[in-house]
Amino acid sequence: MHFVLHKAKKRLQAIILRVSDWAIFIGLVLIGGLGSSYYMLSAGSSLTTRTIGPWSTWKHEGRSDADPYTRAHFARTGTLNLTTEVANTYLTNQDSNGAFLHSSCEYSISGKQLDAQWWSITAMNDRGQLIANPSKRYTFTSDTVAISPDGTFTVTLARDARPGNWLPTAGAGRLALSLTLLESESAIAGDAEGEATPISLPEIKQVACR
Amino acid sequence: MMNHPVFKKAMGYAKRLSQMRLDLRLILSAFCAMGILHIVATLAAPAMMGRSAYDRLSSLLPINEMIVLQPITPEFQPLPFLTPDVRYAMCRYDTADAPVIVMAELPGRGWSLALHSPNGDNVYAATGQDERVTRLRLRIMPTNDRFMGLTPEALGISDTSEKPQIVRSARGIVVVRAPDRGRAYSPFIERDLYRVQCYSETTQ
Repeated sequence: MHFVLHKAKKRLQAIILRVSDWAIFIGLVLIGGLGSSYYMLSAGSSLTTRTIGPWSTWKHEGRSDADPYTRAHFARTGTLNLTTEVANTYLTNQDSNGAFLHSSCEYSISGKQLDAQWWSITAMNDRGQLIANPSKRYTFTSDTVAISPDGTFTVTLARDARPGNWLPTAGAGRLALSLTLLESESAIAGDAEGEATPISLPEIKQVACR
Repeated sequence: MMNHPVFKKAMGYAKRLSQMRLDLRLILSAFCAMGILHIVATLAAPAMMGRSAYDRLSSLLPINEMIVLQPITPEFQPLPFLTPDVRYAMCRYDTADAPVIVMAELPGRGWSLALHSPNGDNVYAATGQDERVTRLRLRIMPTNDRFMGLTPEALGISDTSEKPQIVRSARGIVVVRAPDRGRAYSPFIERDLYRVQCYSETTQ
């Protein structure tokens, strides 16, 4: 009787070992396969996105020959964007030092007049929703931003009113900025990144935090 | 700490992992399986991501009719990342019954017109030019494999005197974007947006 029990126990141990080996195998495959796919859809790679400082854009955005990662990314975000043939939409949720943008801090976004027929910069929360504020300011465009005599501009991102080009952030928490360039000389149309003129995009500096 | 049962258990697992034989076939098959899962997950993602932009806008937009949207605000933002830097006019087109005509004038820079397929791809896009009116007349034709009816020309009811640009697409959304230059310009921008037409040739 004791021998039979011992044998059954050994057999059970062997089965558990085998099952746990398979569990480890399946776990690694799931984490590796789904994790890498999720990363490629969310952040992209140098194959699918172009990054300039904190700003990044999807090279095949809105194109009918878009790669599967770009397609899945925009299906996930549920947005309607212009094709990169005519416009590039750059997004960021970080400042130029790599820190996440947050409404508890004040930022200055400064740059030269951008090389595009028309451009706009919009502040949102990190889910892409506009931030409600009493002054109803959400965006500045090349038509509405105040430009300095030397051709530069500065937009201030802050909770409380600031002089000049102020975009209120209220108590939105994590922030995102969208920069749209229409008909830019440096537009990246699909894989033709190498042919694009280099462009400098506005710098985002943290001024102070509460 | 060292005698804690959880720590002991974790050490047991670590020991077992270190004792696992490195089976080359197992490693290769794990990488293959990861690759297959990565491809399947990426390709299936658009179908599994819930409501697309087309689905979200469908309730707002009647078929083959141009609608000028109210200014985008936190209270009215039908899509995420839909920015208020432009005013929008949209038309959800469907060419199942007849071709759809789109007529627009883009009065200056910053203006654009794009035809988005239900997947979000741009089937057609045009932008306005500085100090020049860009006149567009598009005829959205059904894709060959779907259209089962007679074209209006075949029925003898269409005006063929002006040849529009042909775009092939079964259904999607026409989006006209007009740069918002501030409150003072709003009436002029709205006037130009209301001039954009989108209609089925059967309702001509």
